Amino acid sequence: MVTGRSLAKCFTRGGLNVVAYPEYPSIIRGGHNTYQVVVSDKPVHSPVQQSDIIVALNKDAVFYHREFVSQGGAIIYDSSIDAQKFKPRKDILLFPLPISELLAKAGGIPKMANTVALGAALALADYPFDFIEHVMRDEFSRKGDEVVKQNVAVAKAGYDYAKGNFKGFKKSIKPASDKRKIFIEGNEAIGLGAVKAGMKFYVAYPMTPASTILHYLIENERKFNIVVKQTEDEIAAMNYAVGANFAGVRAMTGTSGGGFSLMVEAMGMAAESETPVVVTLVSRPGPGTCMPTWTEQAELRFAIHASQGEFLRVVLAPGDVDECFYLAAQAFNLADKYQIPVIILSDKFLGESTFSTERFDESKVRIERGKIAKGLPELAPNTRFRRYALTADGVSPRALPGEQNGMHVSSSYEHDETGFSSEDFSMRKAQADKRAKKMDALIREIPGPALYGPKAADVTLVAWGSQKLPCLDALEILAGKGVKANLLHFSYVFPVNVKETQKALSKCRKTVLIENNSTGQLGGLLKQYADVGFDFHMLKYDGRQFFPEQIADEVGKLAAAGYKGKKEIRVAEKDYEYYNTQRYGL
Amino acid sequence: MMVALKDFDTKERMQWCPGCGNFGLLTALKGALAELGTPRHETVIVTGIGCSGKTCHYVNTYGFESLHGRPLPVASGIKLANTGLTVIAEGGDGDGYGIGAQHFVHIMRRNYDLAYIVHDNQLYGLTTGQASPTSLMGMKTKTTPWGVIEKPFNPIAHGILGGATYVARGFAGDPVHLKELIKGAIAHKGFALVDVFQPCVTFNYLNTYQWFQERVYKLEAAGHDPKNRDAAMEKALEDSKTDYKKIPIGLFYKEERPTYEEQLPQIKDKPLVKHDITNVDISAAYEELE
Repeated sequence: MVTGRSLAKCFTRGGLNVVAYPEYPSIIRGGHNTYQVVVSDKPVHSPVQQSDIIVALNKDAVFYHREFVSQGGAIIYDSSIDAQKFKPRKDILLFPLPISELLAKAGGIPKMANTVALGAALALADYPFDFIEHVMRDEFSRKGDEVVKQNVAVAKAGYDYAKGNFKGFKKSIKPASDKRKIFIEGNEAIGLGAVKAGMKFYVAYPMTPASTILHYLIENERKFNIVVKQTEDEIAAMNYAVGANFAGVRAMTGTSGGGFSLMVEAMGMAAESETPVVVTLVSRPGPGTCMPTWTEQAELRFAIHASQGEFLRVVLAPGDVDECFYLAAQAFNLADKYQIPVIILSDKFLGESTFSTERFDESKVRIERGKIAKGLPELAPNTRFRRYALTADGVSPRALPGEQNGMHVSSSYEHDETGFSSEDFSMRKAQADKRAKKMDALIREIPGPALYGPKAADVTLVAWGSQKLPCLDALEILAGKGVKANLLHFSYVFPVNVKETQKALSKCRKTVLIENNSTGQLGGLLKQYADVGFDFHMLKYDGRQFFPEQIADEVGKLAAAGYKGKKEIRVAEKDYEYYNTQRYGL
Repeated sequence: MMVALKDFDTKERMQWCPGCGNFGLLTALKGALAELGTPRHETVIVTGIGCSGKTCHYVNTYGFESLHGRPLPVASGIKLANTGLTVIAEGGDGDGYGIGAQHFVHIMRRNYDLAYIVHDNQLYGLTTGQASPTSLMGMKTKTTPWGVIEKPFNPIAHGILGGATYVARGFAGDPVHLKELIKGAIAHKGFALVDVFQPCVTFNYLNTYQWFQERVYKLEAAGHDPKNRDAAMEKALEDSKTDYKKIPIGLFYKEERPTYEEQLPQIKDKPLVKHDITNVDISAAYEELE
């Protein structure tokens, strides 16, 4: 991970566009871990299936990945491995690297084997060496100058060896500019957006793949001057978050599907008591424990329907790191202004992948706290503030504890205007209507889908959340094949802006709904609310997100067939062939 | 600052049965708040769900009627958000020792500056009389028609062992004594547990006012030293050891330990709620990301 990240940072520092994508199983040792770095001087958004350079740090890795090397690509591996035994394709360049020898010469220790390989990979891409030095300094300066020097020397040994010995690789990449970019993970961007929005309290229980939000915020807790709390479980986390919001502090919790299941109870409490709260739900495959370190978009319906009763909520699904930042900030405004739960729905793919981008435009983040009552008139003796006053727009001013004359009960029971439990039929209806009334203003803040690519196209891809990324890269591939395609992307997924959705879809010719789940949840939702349908459903739910090649391939086939064929396309991945010594007699 | 007792009254319709132990508890709570002079607008009473949960409607402070079992995490969030507030959590025995037991266990380790009052009537009242974690063995209830065959939960022993820094038990039939315990709990800097015997006159035919009056005695009068943890533990186990013939009430245990929130430099100068969020500076974050 550290090595891959360093490599990606070398490219980011060169002003290039970078996507870094980790895959790992749910075990700490002994599993097969990969880290893919995609780099380009043109816009790039997504991991890909075929890599140009594979850096295989053990025998298994050579074996697994020999099927996933692009035409004319290369495998760098330790020279102690006999790669020919695995019968790789003839066009693949095999570059054995004498790691221990180089380490010994450069004065390194075995732990630095990855750094030798990092140097070699960079040399193969014909990228200048000096970036490594800067990156190593950042990575290791805490451990002292000596460690930095040692790592740089070791990387240089790999770099020089590759320069002198690895011939015939055709691709290369040059630094594009001196312009500094940031390199940020989806989860970090949500955390940072929340901090920018004035979130002062983050509370969570660790759960992959949401844990890196917790890690990032707690690491920077004092720098950001916020409080981060790890609780006994997600039930507590959600209740803490609601409590803090009630007290007037912008607070958020974050989890994955299993933890969200435990939060559902308190989400209903937030809704009934009209306490704002923001939850980040970073989804993974389900149900149950399922595949904890992989990805899926199967919790849209869950997010929309979680909890008993009927109430308003917002579900935002960022499609890239920029949207992670801005939507996280916006989530707090919507929660505060409408006094409702807001869910930021991301997934493992976006959450744990890291992307280069520009510094965020902070001027776009506004702080809108909604109706908070201040300087209230004196209350008659033994009476309370009308916290749940029946207002025309459905939003009643809330008084924060500490505010004189604002005393009331915030309640998870149905209640009258002061918060006293009420089971009067008329009051129940009036309060339910009041809460629902908020929709009128809220829906005006929910934009319709965004269009990417040419305005007019033969085929429109329709996606939500993270699948924007492979779709954008697929558009490029499709354009290369002569297929005129564009993308309609939803990041405000609920409530549905019916008018805008219908308008956007009415302009499309053929449509392909692309979802990382098995039932087409957004499709169902749009049918239900906007009465729109799609010509094709392309679904994938094997634990991975779509790769651009897969989308382009399937859409290309549809185009070639004149958009005739089965409505449902289920995309499945080719498994890695596990290293099996018996079968190969190795 | 003096706040008149009557200022804490509300005009809400009473939802407890005549003779309910909650009346004694309510009197003691309001008396404690008035005598401490706690400003009403800076006080939050967070309740769970159950007969105990209704308490916040009858004390004119801020209130949050949360969910069954959840007053502690809600109260914790409120306290961390605004350390300037006096936060009192209230729940029943089912609420706090049953469905919310995980929060009880962990809040004691943290030692937030909160008072937690448990309306312990040894059964579920609002759901019409099922056995609770503190129901005594042999007790017949709707869900134990042949008598309880589980050992009762001992909140006092758990409180002492779990790290609560103020552990007391009161009796709603003695509101004057109870008021002093609650006053001590609110004034105490740290997590204070007050378990209150609060007879349910409608469903609990075993643990009646009379039953308690015959058994309870005051620790203060018995010369118990609340600083002595071993002695406190001894007293905590006395009820079950004597087959509930002798039940001590009063302050079992008290210690001084830093609260969770005072160990956070982020809120040393001012509580989170007072932090200015109009234009948060995140430039330091960029340096690490570049």
